Amino acid sequence: MWMYISIMAKGTAPATPLTPAVFAILLSLAEGDKHGYHIMKDARAPQGGGINMGPGTLYGSLDRMMRDGLVEETGTTDDERRRYYRLTRLGQSVLAVELERLHAAVSSARAQGLLPQGGR
Amino acid sequence: MRPTSQRAGRLESLYGLALRLYPGPFRKQFAPAMRQAFRDALRDPFLCHRALIPLVIRDLITSIAKEHLAMVRNTFGRPAMIFNAAILSALSTGLALALYTIPQQVLRLGANDPQIALAGDLVARLEQGVAPADAVSPASVDMARSLSPFVIVYDDQGRPLASQAKLDGTIPVPPAGVFDFVRQNGEERLSWQPVRGREHGVRIAAIIQRVQGVNGSPGGFVLAGRNMREVEARIGQVSQMAGLTWIGMLGVILLGTAVFAWFTRPKAV
Repeated sequence: MWMYISIMAKGTAPATPLTPAVFAILLSLAEGDKHGYHIMKDARAPQGGGINMGPGTLYGSLDRMMRDGLVEETGTTDDERRRYYRLTRLGQSVLAVELERLHAAVSSARAQGLLPQGGR
Repeated sequence: MRPTSQRAGRLESLYGLALRLYPGPFRKQFAPAMRQAFRDALRDPFLCHRALIPLVIRDLITSIAKEHLAMVRNTFGRPAMIFNAAILSALSTGLALALYTIPQQVLRLGANDPQIALAGDLVARLEQGVAPADAVSPASVDMARSLSPFVIVYDDQGRPLASQAKLDGTIPVPPAGVFDFVRQNGEERLSWQPVRGREHGVRIAAIIQRVQGVNGSPGGFVLAGRNMREVEARIGQVSQMAGLTWIGMLGVILLGTAVFAWFTRPKAV
């Protein structure tokens, strides 16, 4: 008799640094619940990460982020059946850690004169 | 440049067709939302559509490949699948080794049986004072060709005194270390290869026993041997059968794991 021993696969939060797509999605959803194209638009903007993401990359990333517990569907749809997503608590924490990391890197670069004072 | 609604409809249809290239579970879960996002992009007045189409094509190519890889990983690369396959492979490897080792040992040890009796009888006769030339019948066995058991009597220094067998016209002598061992332990059972360097060297299943000296003589040794050609051919067959069984078991494990992984693959939420 074949006995299969099952190992529970657990979703684990991604370690920082995050991929550009995941970071851009988290940053976009930090402002509130959004649907797919809205996230893509935010990511494309310079302040959103400047990531040109297509629907395949977006929903592939959202799929993995949902499995990792970073985002979840709100369960609401609009008149065109767009699906909306929001950050979970874990997603907020991961974003905060990543922002801290980036802030520390930018501060260090500024202290070394690699960035102009007051520059972005 | 704004696409006309007709052109936008065509592009959306084409995109809908391309979505069929994604793995089933992913497509089932996200295709409507992806199509909606593409539709929204086509309607976006601030988006340059010259840039949109190459972006979407690149995105399709990379994300389709990525999602298929993820599906393969999620289906066949699950730790439980790999763990089970590794355990079953280890068990089948152990079983195949046992299938080889047990018959191999039985055959090899069984190859000594006639020699044990021959050597014991001859030692007893020599220790009764019978001369080696009288104790050993004059039959001539060609060690390279014949499968018949044979005996050779050596003196205390390992020099041949009487022999039923020859190899290339001479009576072969085991290495001196073998005689030293027998001198201390009384008996040695070994696979002896008197001719080295040949492609199919003669291998002898040999029993060497110590003969105690009689009337102050220093004693000697009796070697009883038999060509192992036939036994080794059988061991070779056992090895082939065990090898084929092992490969077959690994194939069944691989196929069974793949089928099991496919039917228990993660489904779309």
